[in-house]
Amino acid sequence: MFARRFFLSFPIFAFVYILQESVVSQFKIFGGGFSLFLIFALLWSALGTPEMGALTGFGAGILMDLSQSASGPMGQWTLIMIVAGFTVSYLGYGDDNFRGNPFSLILTIAAGVAITRLIYLILGLFLGGEAGSAWSIFTSLLSSAFWSAALVPLLLPVVTRLHEALFDVKSRI
Amino acid sequence: MRSGGDNRGRLLLISLIVTALFLITLDLRGVQVITGLRSGSQSALSPVQSVAANIFRPVGNFFSDVTQLGRTRGEIERLQAANEKLRKELIDRGNADAELEQLKSVLDLAGTAKYKVVNAKVISLGSTSSFTQTITIDAGTNNGVRQNMTVITGLGLVGVVKISYPNSALVQLATDPSFKVGARVAGSQQIGILSGQGTNKAVLQLLDNQTTLKVGDVILARGSVNNRPFVPGVPIGQVTTVDNAAGAVTQTADVKLYVNFSTVSVVAVVVSAPKEDPRDALVPKAPVPMPVPTVTIYAQPSETLTP
Repeated sequence: MFARRFFLSFPIFAFVYILQESVVSQFKIFGGGFSLFLIFALLWSALGTPEMGALTGFGAGILMDLSQSASGPMGQWTLIMIVAGFTVSYLGYGDDNFRGNPFSLILTIAAGVAITRLIYLILGLFLGGEAGSAWSIFTSLLSSAFWSAALVPLLLPVVTRLHEALFDVKSRI
Repeated sequence: MRSGGDNRGRLLLISLIVTALFLITLDLRGVQVITGLRSGSQSALSPVQSVAANIFRPVGNFFSDVTQLGRTRGEIERLQAANEKLRKELIDRGNADAELEQLKSVLDLAGTAKYKVVNAKVISLGSTSSFTQTITIDAGTNNGVRQNMTVITGLGLVGVVKISYPNSALVQLATDPSFKVGARVAGSQQIGILSGQGTNKAVLQLLDNQTTLKVGDVILARGSVNNRPFVPGVPIGQVTTVDNAAGAVTQTADVKLYVNFSTVSVVAVVVSAPKEDPRDALVPKAPVPMPVPTVTIYAQPSETLTP
């Protein structure tokens, strides 16, 4: 049942991935823009159990590693997304005050996106990557948090409904 | 909050992390299957990106144009209904004109240096989530584009082909933090290494500490063995600030890149270059100040006639 539901969510992730790679990537947006796929994956993880969050992070990370713009080795995003997916779902698991409050979710995802990217950068440095100037990193992280905070309220109703329909769990906000 | 996971959850988490580490190890060891996966996904996505580029680029311009009209909402709606089709055509034409201008400019540069180029359109901008700066172009191995070829516009260096797929190619921009190119200063021929910084400015580090740089110096690509990855003589940018720190081993300078990476829509990939180095032939001409004609009128009181 667990695996079946996980695989059922794959077409949704594939759709968002294609949307990110083909449509969102067409627009030059302030501060380097946003990763719709990363926001969606963390939001989806936040609505499930920690195990499901880790599994969601794994699937999402594989797709992000397949992206042409991924600079690191295959598996770098996967590793980070497993931990990120597990963490964001673990934070709110069993706490209805957290999960029932859209503001805490928005805050968690916005911070989660920035922290996930920062960890990706640090791990990339360990693996021999380059970071660029501190200012560009700072603005990029800040703008990704800003865009995430702006987009999560728009995505939340759609994602919660989809999640509820697929997993039969009352997670709608 | 949950106090702890059960054994099944822990086992799953550990298995997934081990799988990810296994993937990283395989990729770092250069296993071809992993490279093939990325290549396959890009080959599958490039037609979708091409279609999306055709649809969304003009639409994006259209909406930005409408928001800048600065008229009242009622007027906009009334005028929009009448002019929508015409405006769309105009924007499409504007896009085509801008692309034509860029194409002419890049052909001028390539013609001066006698480069053999393949022109390509930008079909996607790489996501900056991974702190990389890349673009995808609609020319690939089928068009003669190979890995490690120089990519230029009419203004100068854009980047280098990082991966080439059958119908598209991934270009690493000169702004990418991991981008490095051997550079020389036009005129004085001092050499150094220019590194991308993630912004429109790059850092030039000279190799010789006896030489000096000055603001306004033009930086050109030094060229590589067999012209790959860089052909010589391509303009890169202009020195804006020089770091003259006492005790520094080598001199460094900030270089403003010539290319405006946010407006690049047409590029050219240099597939072959002439044997002779164009040296400083591609240095952009400094703007010539236009003389402003002034007219001086001298007024003299007319002589009054006395009766």
